[in-house]
Amino acid sequence: MRTLRLASLLFLALPAGCGGVQSALVPRGAEATEIDALFWTVTWVSVAVTILVVSFVAIALWGPSRWRNIIADHWVVTVGGIALPVVVLSALLAYGLIVMQVGAARSASADGPGITIVGKRWWWEVIYDRPDGSTVMSANELRLPVGKPVEIRLESDNVIHSFWAPQLGGKLDMIPGRTNVLTLEATEAGISRAQCAEYCGGAHALMSMFVVAMPPEEYEAWLEAEARPASEPSDEAAERGRTLFLENGCGACHTVRGTDAAGVVGPDLTHVGSRRSLAAATLPNDRDAFARWIRDNQHIKPDNLMPPYGNLTDGELTAIAAYLDGLE
Amino acid sequence: MRWERLPRPRALGYAIVIVLGGGILLATAWVLAGAYNVAASAKHFYVTDRLLKLVLYRSVDTYSAGIEVPPLRDAGLVRLGARHFVTGCQPCHAGPGMDQSPIAASMYPAAPALGNNVEDWESRELFWIVRHGLKFTGMPHWPGEGRDSEVWAVVAFLRELPKLSPQEYAELTRGPRSPGHGFPLDRPDLMAQCSGCHGDADNGPVASLAPSLNGQNTAYLIRALEEYAAGSRESGMMEPIAAALTESAREQLAQEFGSFASPTPSPPDGDSAERDARIARGAGIARDGIAQQNIPPCLACHSPGKSGQFPRLEALSEGYLIEQLNLFRDGTRSGTPYAEIMAPIARRLTKDQIADAAAYFSSVERGAREAPAAHAEARP
Ligand code: HEC
Ligand code: HEC
Ligand code: HEC
Ligand code: HEC
Ligand SMILES: [Cu+2]
Repeated sequence: MRTLRLASLLFLALPAGCGGVQSALVPRGAEATEIDALFWTVTWVSVAVTILVVSFVAIALWGPSRWRNIIADHWVVTVGGIALPVVVLSALLAYGLIVMQVGAARSASADGPGITIVGKRWWWEVIYDRPDGSTVMSANELRLPVGKPVEIRLESDNVIHSFWAPQLGGKLDMIPGRTNVLTLEATEAGISRAQCAEYCGGAHALMSMFVVAMPPEEYEAWLEAEARPASEPSDEAAERGRTLFLENGCGACHTVRGTDAAGVVGPDLTHVGSRRSLAAATLPNDRDAFARWIRDNQHIKPDNLMPPYGNLTDGELTAIAAYLDGLE
Repeated sequence: MRWERLPRPRALGYAIVIVLGGGILLATAWVLAGAYNVAASAKHFYVTDRLLKLVLYRSVDTYSAGIEVPPLRDAGLVRLGARHFVTGCQPCHAGPGMDQSPIAASMYPAAPALGNNVEDWESRELFWIVRHGLKFTGMPHWPGEGRDSEVWAVVAFLRELPKLSPQEYAELTRGPRSPGHGFPLDRPDLMAQCSGCHGDADNGPVASLAPSLNGQNTAYLIRALEEYAAGSRESGMMEPIAAALTESAREQLAQEFGSFASPTPSPPDGDSAERDARIARGAGIARDGIAQQNIPPCLACHSPGKSGQFPRLEALSEGYLIEQLNLFRDGTRSGTPYAEIMAPIARRLTKDQIADAAAYFSSVERGAREAPAAHAEARP
């Protein structure tokens, strides 16, 4: 009995180690908060039921004969074996349905412009709708206004991926040929992480992104800036970086709005310098990481679909990194 | 213990051990003493010679079994093979009506003068000999690993060889000599050698496997020659030629070819409706790529204004384009930084898409070349 209790305590202690930007136990969204409450309710009810059942088993095996007689009684079986499970399970089901209902109500209230996330191999295309009907193409980072339910449409044009931002809500598959809709409402400003939760081939484990929840006014300002074409290079190095970027055919796969680069195979880089990470949260976003990624991406993220540019010299990489870093 | 007393099987056993052991000792002593004469001037016994020949014939027959022979009756292929033969084989094997070099004739086994004796071999056997060489003879294997199509060009020529008179041979192996080009070269003879396969300002290349170099980006041509010379780009025809060029010769030849007007397109032949459909599909790949397969538009890299290290593709021959894309795909053309950029893209194309893209590029004019910006830094 002692060891059993100890083991169950340990088990309960385990999730405590799972804090951090990608933990479902630190909810920062409306849905995640509800799921969190549901999770703990179910967990504690399960714990209570387990203790009850184990106690009965123990009594049946080792208890005094008086106790054993009691639990052998008809009414104990009727109440404990039929009535109790029916009540408890029905209550939990009702609770689950209510949570879903609340989620659906929130979806209905998500009347603002939505966001489409397309699962790629192995990165995320993120397309923001704007009130005027236009869209803003971005990638590898999701920004949300705090306190507003936002409709997130999940799509894929290749294999099945799954979008999961644990601090904001439950996970949902991205299935080729259909659109799954999820409603997310961030309840406080801050940064968390999303992860692809369905094995999708080679670099699946390195397919994540940061989710940035920001106050609504800041969000509007950010989206306004994100919609603008790329900024002009600010100095000579960045200027040279842009020339090298275009000469080396980066534009075959990447779009930088405002330049000739209009590729669609890789992420839109128009404002890549303002993101928190590179290559779907594989590297930090700084000049050194840009240079390393361009030359060495097949070692950093094996099998990803960008060719490595081993032809570029250190000086050329520095220039391209300066250019991309300046694309804020 | 006396000898006669041993039981018979035991005696036999001892005898075998003594004979074998003694034999091994004697053989070791003979080898270590240097008693065998390895001189090429010391001929084999008649029987040894016949035995070695038998081993050779049987081996070639067995190992070449199952090799599929492609169509070889192609005048261009024969000419390309012939032009490689002059520098690659003639020094040892001589050509029709030629006296063999006394040096080659002094090899042992001697390189046979090739003529009617070629008829003794099937095409698959000739392919195997030229591709793999012959061990313990001076016959080398093909220097370009994985370049079977080049070997077939040589076989196509070998099939014609027995029929050739000395004049016809001279005719076939000589490239176009168009007068009137004042080559600013230290060695104009080099240009004549190149044009024998690649053509020059007035003549196209001899065969679809040899690309036109006219109007190609100079930086790219120089790098291609460096890669052949270093053995990092495989070609049994180009590796020996490039390795023999000095750095300044490579540059001069590249400048010269780069300054010629771009080649005229040669649309693929065949049923014209089908062909036009292929060209149209190829144009789509070239201009827009195929996003669904993660294939970027070819022209986003292969066009004026891009790095001078990226080759222009328009008006290259269909056969050459298909061959190169297949080499990128199967990993034969890989390992260099630039090939690593192209290879993943080639691997995303299907065989049909390769044919479509090649049909398109071989049939369009090459647009004007803008001077690529002088940004490329010198490689370390
Ligand atoms: C053949 C297509 C292709 C070419 C050419 C290409 N890229 Fe990429 N690039 C990609 C793909 C695909 C990704 C996404 C990789 C991943 O994360 O799985 C990517 C990712 C990136 C990223 C990270 C973007 C982000 O959102 O975090 C940068 C930066 C980048 N590429 C820069 C370049 C530069 C600079 C060049 C030219 C020197 C270049 N790319 C050429 C396909 C390409
Ligand atoms: C370095 C000298 C050398 C070079 C270069 C050379 N060969 Fe040979 N080759 C030989 C020798 C030596 C043999 C004879 C092997 C034997 O008889 O056992 C031979 C044998 C052959 C044979 C078999 C002939 C026969 O009937 O036995 C063929 C065919 C042949 N070579 C073709 C070629 C071709 C084609 C090339 C050029 C791509 C070439 N060789 C280049 C030395 C050379
Ligand atoms: C025997 C025929 C032959 C001769 C002679 C020859 N070449 Fe080549 N060359 C070829 C073939 C075949 C190829 C294609 C090789 C390949 O598939 O990689 C080629 C390829 C090349 C390429 C690469 C072109 C590209 O688009 O990638 C260059 C550059 C080149 N040759 C330069 C020269 C020069 C310079 C000379 C004279 C010194 C020369 N070649 C002589 C047959 C020849
Ligand atoms: C991101 C830039 C890029 C794109 C896009 C690209 N290529 Fe290339 N390609 C290259 C580079 C770099 C080389 C030179 C490789 C080398 O030298 O080994 C090359 C070489 C080639 C060659 C060899 C040419 C020769 O003369 O030997 C062919 C053929 C080719 N590419 C076809 C294509 C086709 C077809 C497409 C479109 C489906 C395409 N390329 C798209 C960068 C690109
Ligand atoms: Cu995945």
